[in-house]
Amino acid sequence: MDHKKLFNYAILTGEIMLRSGAETSRVEDTINRILATTKFTTVESFVTPTGIFATLDDDTIDMISFVKRVHRREIHLNRVAMANDLSRRFCAGVIELEDAYNQLEAIKDVPSYPNWIMVLAKGIGAGSFAVVFGGDVIDMCVTMIIGFALAMIQVFLRKLDTLKFFEDIIGGSLIATIAIVSFYYLKIGSNFDLIVIGSIMPLVPGVAITNAIRDIIQGDFISGMSRAADAFIIAASVAVGVGSILKLFYLYLGGAPI
Amino acid sequence: MIIEVLAAFVGTLAFSVFYNVSKRELLFCGTVGGISWTVYLFVNAFIHDSIFSCFFAAIVISVISHILSRVRKNPVTIYQIGGIFPLVPGAGMYKTLYYIVNEDYTLSTYYLYESLQIAGGIAVAMILIASLNNLLIKR
Repeated sequence: MDHKKLFNYAILTGEIMLRSGAETSRVEDTINRILATTKFTTVESFVTPTGIFATLDDDTIDMISFVKRVHRREIHLNRVAMANDLSRRFCAGVIELEDAYNQLEAIKDVPSYPNWIMVLAKGIGAGSFAVVFGGDVIDMCVTMIIGFALAMIQVFLRKLDTLKFFEDIIGGSLIATIAIVSFYYLKIGSNFDLIVIGSIMPLVPGVAITNAIRDIIQGDFISGMSRAADAFIIAASVAVGVGSILKLFYLYLGGAPI
Repeated sequence: MIIEVLAAFVGTLAFSVFYNVSKRELLFCGTVGGISWTVYLFVNAFIHDSIFSCFFAAIVISVISHILSRVRKNPVTIYQIGGIFPLVPGAGMYKTLYYIVNEDYTLSTYYLYESLQIAGGIAVAMILIASLNNLLIKR
């Protein structure tokens, strides 16, 4: 068997899964399982949210080690499912290495949903969560419109390849601006807080902080701490965006918080 | 309450699209989200404690996700993320940092601990069910 090829296959699987938002323990497990098909004595992998390290060693071969830095991440659970399924079939011996590698290359390019569906989904999602937390129909409509605007500006900013931090600040201030205009000037909507909270649902890191704590409890400290840091930075950037616009507005009103 | 559960279903489905879940699994994700919010509301009506309610809802949806993942041959995460979406303390994290920006440290500390407790509860529930799953069913 071609060990180098197998190793590349394992690393590429790990990279695709990690980049698409899989848990680090799942990525480690998958890489180990793929490498273990060689029956070599040393099979080791170490995965953090920003990189993959893996080693394969035996008396019969030269040691292979690999470091892979993973940069931009975009959550794509479909890719995780497909890569996972492929590796499972490979480990069960259903398909050959060459075949698996080619299929993996195809999984790498599985498209996301088109932008207009994303915009629609974010708007509807934000609107629904305003209702979940106790808003009424008018709140839902306002939140939905804010969600559409937010998603569009995100699509635009992503084309410019800006920092995530910057993107969230802009998103937060956009939410606050539209919410203030519609609530205080156009007099639409009944709960200002619910409109803001519903609109920030696509941005805030609730799942991230939960996964961080889960990683820490499981003993993946590095990945847990970096996810927690990620969550706090995202929350901070959204809060700075929303907070600064609200503060400006209250200053403009004469410092009277409403 | 029915409207809220329906909204949780639609909202979870919409955010699953945002996480690029494949078309075939979207309805399942939405359903798990709806169930999760139903359980939360139900438990919360009896004991009025949001942390325990989240913990309990997370246990229920973890069990459902594990069953679904076995039946549908997909990673558990797909259904679990959908299920915990209505529960996770996204707004709490935002409020924590929002009150820090506004220099109200009492409220920010309150929301920080609340968020960590809720997130911790959900995380413990997820780990508990995953461990039970490993114990009961040998892979």
